[in-house]
Amino acid sequence: MRISRRAVAAAAVVAAVLPLSACGGGTGDSSGGSGKVEGKVQGRITFQTWNLQANFKPYFTGLIADFEKKYPGAEVKWVDRPAEGYADKISADAAGGTLPDVVNVSPDLVAPLAKAGIALDLDKAASKYRKEYLPGAWQSHRIPGMEGTYAFPWYLNTGPLFYNKTLFKEAGLDPEKPPTTYDELFDSGLKLAGQSKGKVATLANVPTIEDFGRYGGQLTNEDGTGFAFNDAKGIELLTRYKELYDAKALDPQALTATPESSGHKFLTGSVAMNPGSALDLENFKKQAPSLYKNIGITDQISSTGKANMYVMGVMVNAQTKQKPAAVAFAHYVTDATRQMEFAKQVAIFPSTAGSLDDPYFTEEDGTDVTRVRVAAAKSLKTAVNYTPVLFSDQMKTELRNQIAKALQGKQSPKEALDNAVKACDRLLQQS
Amino acid sequence: MKTPVVPSPTDSPPRRDTVAAVPAARRTRSGPGRSGHRISRHLPFSPWLFAAPGLLVVGTFSLFPFFSTLVNAFTDRRTLMPGKFVGLANFRELIHDDMFWTGLRNSTLYVLGVVPALVILPLLLAMLVQRHIPGIAFFRSAFYTPVVASIVVVGLIWVWMLDDRGLINAVLEAVGIGKVGFLSDQWLLLFSAMTVTVWKGLGYYMIIYLAALANVPRELHEAASVDGAGAVRRFFTVTVPAVRSTMVLVGALASVAAFKVFSEVYLMAGPSGGPAGEDTTLVMLVQRVGTGLTGRVGYASAISVVIFVVTVALMLLVLRADRKEDA
Repeated sequence: MRISRRAVAAAAVVAAVLPLSACGGGTGDSSGGSGKVEGKVQGRITFQTWNLQANFKPYFTGLIADFEKKYPGAEVKWVDRPAEGYADKISADAAGGTLPDVVNVSPDLVAPLAKAGIALDLDKAASKYRKEYLPGAWQSHRIPGMEGTYAFPWYLNTGPLFYNKTLFKEAGLDPEKPPTTYDELFDSGLKLAGQSKGKVATLANVPTIEDFGRYGGQLTNEDGTGFAFNDAKGIELLTRYKELYDAKALDPQALTATPESSGHKFLTGSVAMNPGSALDLENFKKQAPSLYKNIGITDQISSTGKANMYVMGVMVNAQTKQKPAAVAFAHYVTDATRQMEFAKQVAIFPSTAGSLDDPYFTEEDGTDVTRVRVAAAKSLKTAVNYTPVLFSDQMKTELRNQIAKALQGKQSPKEALDNAVKACDRLLQQS
Repeated sequence: MKTPVVPSPTDSPPRRDTVAAVPAARRTRSGPGRSGHRISRHLPFSPWLFAAPGLLVVGTFSLFPFFSTLVNAFTDRRTLMPGKFVGLANFRELIHDDMFWTGLRNSTLYVLGVVPALVILPLLLAMLVQRHIPGIAFFRSAFYTPVVASIVVVGLIWVWMLDDRGLINAVLEAVGIGKVGFLSDQWLLLFSAMTVTVWKGLGYYMIIYLAALANVPRELHEAASVDGAGAVRRFFTVTVPAVRSTMVLVGALASVAAFKVFSEVYLMAGPSGGPAGEDTTLVMLVQRVGTGLTGRVGYASAISVVIFVVTVALMLLVLRADRKEDA
């Protein structure tokens, strides 16, 4: 078969140009805040949540119905994505231009989206709503080195720490007095490992960036544009963790653990303590009823007296065609009324001003549930979001791998943290 | 536009040598009739039309991503940011990236560990199940089952078995050996992942060998037996030479698959690539570096180009070895 030269040339041009076009894609509007947000709330928008459909379907269905009733011209399509691979899903959607109009995000997820001009700057587009939220919560979605706020603050949580009372009792520890500071944690851990001859570990995971924060170390420089967790406090924390690892008070597989595998270790009684969320309690009830009866719930370990606060946000896609509807809906989901309703469905806390003073969060009725709720709400007033906004997944891996080397004795804690800071700073500059 | 010249049935008959060049079967079915002329009228476009669906699929899902990766390797493109041309900067960075060398080491070790096992063991297995004895179909199916099982399911089952408190460690403890850190030691973890790859691939390559063994003339074995050759001698002098080209094929397929290993190591060593990332393979590195909201697509593409070059080199090496043997 004869192929004309023109056809060959055309094919060559297409082959050369198509890949180049892939490189030049870009992400459109880089201002992140332009476009009209005032106007009639109407049109069809898509709202994406983060692993909430399984447990809260009636709540969100009702919320959407109420919104559509309030704004008859508006229609909301709700999609929910699983927790596993959520960042990758957002990444693929954002790169492909198919990101929903309103998206459930955390501060570290919104940072790259804001840099790429995909997240709407709410300081410009929705500043009138700012006073409705706690000042700290509103600022949690500000990006170091950038102007603006890129998501409405949604719910807050501190996340409890679960412990196995039976294992505490067997090691001669008081199950009603779990450790609250890192020093107490290390003492309890060494005792547990010693009593069980290394068969029961206290923790199933290596320290994370939040641990360094709660230990009292400095995480970033003043303006948040560089990392500093290799300070004296950080080195001290890692040195103590090395003692735990050597004494088998850390699970042998801690260096490769994931949150799922740590949870599994706790379920099987291999480890005595594990951080989690209110949803985990339901899992324990179903999957390990005997463990559930002996579960203790305490606050996160902290030597600063401040808990780590997890902040969820709701971002508006800057490229949405229905900006008034998207902004109105994002605000509707996160306003005081809706957040209060949601808080009554599950153990989360509203980020709206004054909500935490509601009797629901201040008065106990003698039950464990209200005791935990009131204590958590109180701790939230001083809680800090210890996760640096610019700390990406690649940085987490770098820190984790350097910590693993220190625990294995391949390098000193100082060398490990110096290397981790260097690697994270390099990644930050490349981002 | 010119009107195409259509040969009429009254045109002069084709030359005798042209007719002779057409296969006999085709001549008897079509001949130089009117319908044949209709086909020839569309001849310049027809092949393209027939090939179009295939070309479209290959172009969209193979060629375009391939060329796109090639171009991206020379840019600093990120997931959400368009890139600009940076020349060989990504490749220069690779040379100084410890994790790249760790990945290259592990992928190479994987090839060295897995390929010999996947060339030899399935052949022995095929010889075992080739025999016609009652119930052998059950064993053939059993050996093939891991091939059709999902790698995620298989990986998780092995993780549970090799866990610190898993079945295998319980047995080892019961017999007095004590616990072995299959999932916490860097080298044991890599070895465990290799074991899973071999276990899962046995059935697939066994089927290929079964087809090859069926073509080995029975007379050769009988003649060797008459000459006094035992089972081992016959294996090396009759079976191996007869299936040598299949062994080369299996070697080539297995080495390419082993160099590109991802799932087994990812499932067993975790997303961080084992303790301190020491079990990271090259494809895992591509995934880690190139995905996510801050993914460095340009740098990940450069690693992919290296993987492509090494893979092609591996194939050429195996084929060259085969040609040398033939000569």
